Formats: sequence, C-alpha cells, structure tokens
Amino acid sequence: MPNGRARIAVTAGLWVVFAAAPLAVDDWQLTQLAQLMTYGIFAMSLAFIWGQIGLLCFGQAIFFGIGGYAMAVVTKGMLPGLPESTALGLVAAVVLPGLAALVLGQFLFRGRGLSGAYFAIVTLSASVIAERAASHWTFIGGFNGLLNVPPLRVGWGGVAAELVDPLPTYYVMLGAAAAVFAGLLWLDRSPLGTVFRGIRDNDERTAYFGYDVAAYKTFGFALSGAVAGLAGALFVTQFGFVSPALIGFPLSTEVLIWVALGGKEVLLAAFMGAIVVRSVEGILSETLGYYWLLALGVLFVLSVVLLPRGLLGWLLRLPMPARLARRAEDGLPVEVVNTSRGRPTGRR
Amino acid sequence: MEQFVIIGLDAANFMLALLLVSLGLVIVFGLMNVINMAHGEFFLLGAYTVVVVQDAGGSFWVAFFAAPLVLAAVGLLVEEIVIRHVYHRFIDTILATWGVSLAIKQLVIVVFGPASQQVVGPFPDPVDILGTVYPSYRLFIMAVSVVVAAGTFLLFYRTKLGLAARGVIANRLMASSLGIDTRRMDRATFAFGAALAGFAGAVMAPLMSVDPQMGVGFLIPAFLSILVGGAGTLLGPLLGTALIAGSNTVVASLWTQVVAQIVVFSLAIVVIRAFPQGLTGRRG
Repeated sequence: MPNGRARIAVTAGLWVVFAAAPLAVDDWQLTQLAQLMTYGIFAMSLAFIWGQIGLLCFGQAIFFGIGGYAMAVVTKGMLPGLPESTALGLVAAVVLPGLAALVLGQFLFRGRGLSGAYFAIVTLSASVIAERAASHWTFIGGFNGLLNVPPLRVGWGGVAAELVDPLPTYYVMLGAAAAVFAGLLWLDRSPLGTVFRGIRDNDERTAYFGYDVAAYKTFGFALSGAVAGLAGALFVTQFGFVSPALIGFPLSTEVLIWVALGGKEVLLAAFMGAIVVRSVEGILSETLGYYWLLALGVLFVLSVVLLPRGLLGWLLRLPMPARLARRAEDGLPVEVVNTSRGRPTGRR
Repeated sequence: MEQFVIIGLDAANFMLALLLVSLGLVIVFGLMNVINMAHGEFFLLGAYTVVVVQDAGGSFWVAFFAAPLVLAAVGLLVEEIVIRHVYHRFIDTILATWGVSLAIKQLVIVVFGPASQQVVGPFPDPVDILGTVYPSYRLFIMAVSVVVAAGTFLLFYRTKLGLAARGVIANRLMASSLGIDTRRMDRATFAFGAALAGFAGAVMAPLMSVDPQMGVGFLIPAFLSILVGGAGTLLGPLLGTALIAGSNTVVASLWTQVVAQIVVFSLAIVVIRAFPQGLTGRRG
C-alpha cells in the first residue's frame, strides 16, 4: 500500500486530470464526461451511507429519481404559481429526496430499528414501489416520463444563459462533484464522522456510549438522499429526459456495483468506480454485447469474495488527520470481528 | 360467487408457488445465515430447464423431474465456488449472491436471447370445480406444491436429518460440538434450497412468460414473505406467503396488478418494521 503522502498526491492528481480533461478530449467525450460526473456524485452519496455509516441501501436510485423528477417538474413550469427557475428546481431536488429519506429513515431506524439484511431488503422493495408508482402517475408522465427538461440556467436577474455548451457544463458538473467530495470528506473528518464510523463498526456499543444511533442514522440517510437527489437533478438537466428507469431497482443495483468495485469506504474510489465502470461500459458494451454484463457480474462476485474493500480504495484512501490517526493506524479503521453468527436483528 | 372461487383459487395457486420459492430461501437463511439474492435466478433456471428439454423434443415430465436435479447441481456449484468463501461476512453474502444472480441472468440472455420463450404444459383442458371452470394444470400445480411443501416439512420435523438441520439453525456451534458435520449440512441445504426453487420454476413455466426477468418477480415477494412470516422457522413462510399472495391476488382483482404490488409491498414493509422477528417470531 502506498504511503499516506503518495495517496494524497494520487487524489489531488486525479482532480487535476479532471480539471485538465477538456484539453485532451473532444466535445462529445466532454459531454459524456460531464454526465459521468453526476453518476460519480450519485456513487459518493451511496459510499457515504454504506461505507461510512454501514447501511447497505438497495434503493439509492429512489432519491436520485426523486431529485430528477423534482428538477424536471419545477424547471418545466408544471407547478402553477411557481417560476421555471433552475435555483428553485435545485432546491426542490435536494430538499424533497432529503425529506423522503428522512421520513423513511425515521420510520425504519426508530426504536428497535431495522439493520443489515432487513434494511437492504426493505430498501430494495421500496425502490420497486417507487418505480411502479412513478410509471403510473400521469402527472409526471407515467411510463414515458418527462421529455424536454431544460438545461441549467445560470446568471442573475436579466443576464441569464442556458448551459448548453459542453465546456461550461462540464466545469459546472466537475465543480459540483468536487464540492460534494470536499463536503463529505470534511464531514468524515469531523467529530460527527467519528460517530458515524462508530455506528458502522458497532452500533450497539456506540449506543451504550450515549449516542442516539437512530437519529444519527436518520440524519446520515437524509443527507445521502439529498446528495443523490442533487446528482439526479444535474443528470436530467444534461440528459433532457426523466423516466421511471431513473428511480427503480436496476439503477439502484448498478450504483451498488460501481461503489463496491471502486471501494465503498473511500469517497473518491466510489466516484472513480462509477466513472471507470460507465466509461468501460460505453466502450465495451458495443463489442461485447450481452457478455459485458456477464463479465461485470463475474467481476463483481470476484471483487466481493477476494477484495471486499474494492479495487481502488487502497490507492485513494486519504490518511486520517493527526488527531484521529493514532488509534486507527494510517487511516485504516479498526475492524470489529463479529464471531457470533447470530441473526441480523439479534435474538439475545 | 364464481368470482370469489376464482380469486380464492388464484390466490392459493400463487401462494403455493411462492411457498416453494420461500421455503428454499428460509432454509438457506436459517441454516447458513445467507441471504441468497440468486434464488430468483434458480427459479429462472428451473423454467429454462423446461425450455431446453422441450426444444430437444423431450416431454414436460422429463423437465419436471430434471429441473430439481439440475438446480441441485447448480446450487452445489455456487456454494462451492462463491458462498463458502463469504460465510462469515454476512453483508457480503448479499452482494456476492447478487453478483451471481446478475451473472446467471446474463448467461441466460447470452444463451437464449432476451425474448420470452414458449413452454407447453400438460393438461390443456379446464375442469369444473366448485361451480366454476378452472385450468386443470393450475390445480395440478397446487396439488404438487402441497405434496412438496408437506414433504419438506416432514423432512425437517420428522426425520433425523431434519432434527440435525434444525439443531444447526437453533445453535450452530452447539450442533457442531455434538458431532454434526455443519459443512456437509451447508452444502446439502444450499443444494436443497436451489432444487426447490428450480422445481417451482419448472412447474410455473407453462403459466408465465419465460423470460430472463422472471426471477426477480418472484424473489422480492418471497423475501417479503419470509420476513413478514418470520425467518426463524419453517412455519414463517407458510403464514407469510399466505398473507402476501392472498392480499396481492385480492387487490389485483379489485384494481390492477401494479396497484397490488405497491399496496402489498408497502404493507409488508410496515409489518416487517412493526415485527422485526416476523409474525411467528418471539416478541422482542
């Protein structure tokens, strides 16, 4: 494993490469890369809730989809009395999925809450419910979704421009991704992040220390939902189209694979997982056809069995600040090995 | 009246097919503590066994007996290659079996294409029952499912092997201290669970559109059934499948299949939240 300084250099280098990418690629590739940024933000939202707090969410696309739909409905001016404003759309696309996650989290985590496999299966079912509901709600276009979602509008007052050129769009998306990365990383290094890691490693022990585990989980889930919603909103402004496919089970599991392959405990590894898997898919899915998903499935199984920390985590894991580094050497979390093979909800 | 009889029969039909799938899931979960996301694909492979046999000119009955054997072999293979390496990492079993499910589904698409396949079942003529006309093949499925489910219960509650298996479910360490070979038990269990799912897939194939997506359609209701009923005992799925299949069929007959799924899944989530041990489980 490269030492801490080398890993910081790799992380910084990657962002520099992204910032310089427009020099090396053509307009079409830049458009693709701008879309990949939103998938990357989506992947970081899952890495946050799964890698930091330990909640395996099989329905992350619910929040991505709500964000996308909220953005589309507001910017298309479908709500009477509300202006067709990008800013308002973004606010709705962050607040609504955040609220949805807050309500779902409040419901699932309170009291003797659900965790582990139960949480996974319940979120899996919830994503199927969301997809079914979206495809039968005619206001949001039903099965066909909503077409002609306008691009982002930037500017103040009378001077407003639509973001259609690839270059400015790309930099806005890159900026959003970098901001989400920085924000979540800051949270990870804050005292709150320490509590989150405590919950991930052993939520019972964390509760004995006096922390309201359910409240922390709910807050983390809501935050993750809000970030996923932002990703969905940014995605639809580029894609111009929102459909039930963005809210359902297939996308929820796709993001899971990106994050698992990249490395769930490291934000940038999850981000790169999304970027790399999607780019390779773009290149290989034409030549490999159906074999591509087969290869991805096999690779995923291999990674889970042999490298449960993902393929990139070792390279991109940033060292912990000195304040936290002594207990967890070199940024590696202390593994809590649970030797009992009890049931997930515990029958104690 | 006729309407009620048909709804009742449909519900019983769905419940029994779901029960076969859920029993495999709950045995694997209870005994090995493995959440098997690939279980839906075992169901799928069972259905495609029928496709293969019929394409080769064989009769439905060959597939009827071959499907459980084929799937037992697949189960052994999956257990050997993947599952045994992740036993002690509970959450990773979900991910690994999800990857297996993706790979199997995609393999089916590579071999058979994404389109749905036609399968011909036996007994094409409907019969009169309780004053209404009902497809006789569905009645046959119900009878067979009852026999297989009853056989599974007998195996687990009336034989020495079943006693040993329930011992492992109740306390794995204790059972292995008493000389039960838990490793062999795990393999047998996984193969048995896979065989049940494959058998269910084979018998349901003539009633469904046999396509690569059919597995997921059964996986989620089956999971909800065992969580609603309670995953600690074989009686859990019996209650769970009755509730899920019953409410699903009734709501679908009143509105549409889509509304039914939304309503039933939502109710199931509420029940699971309120009774994390399931309805048959001990109250915490």
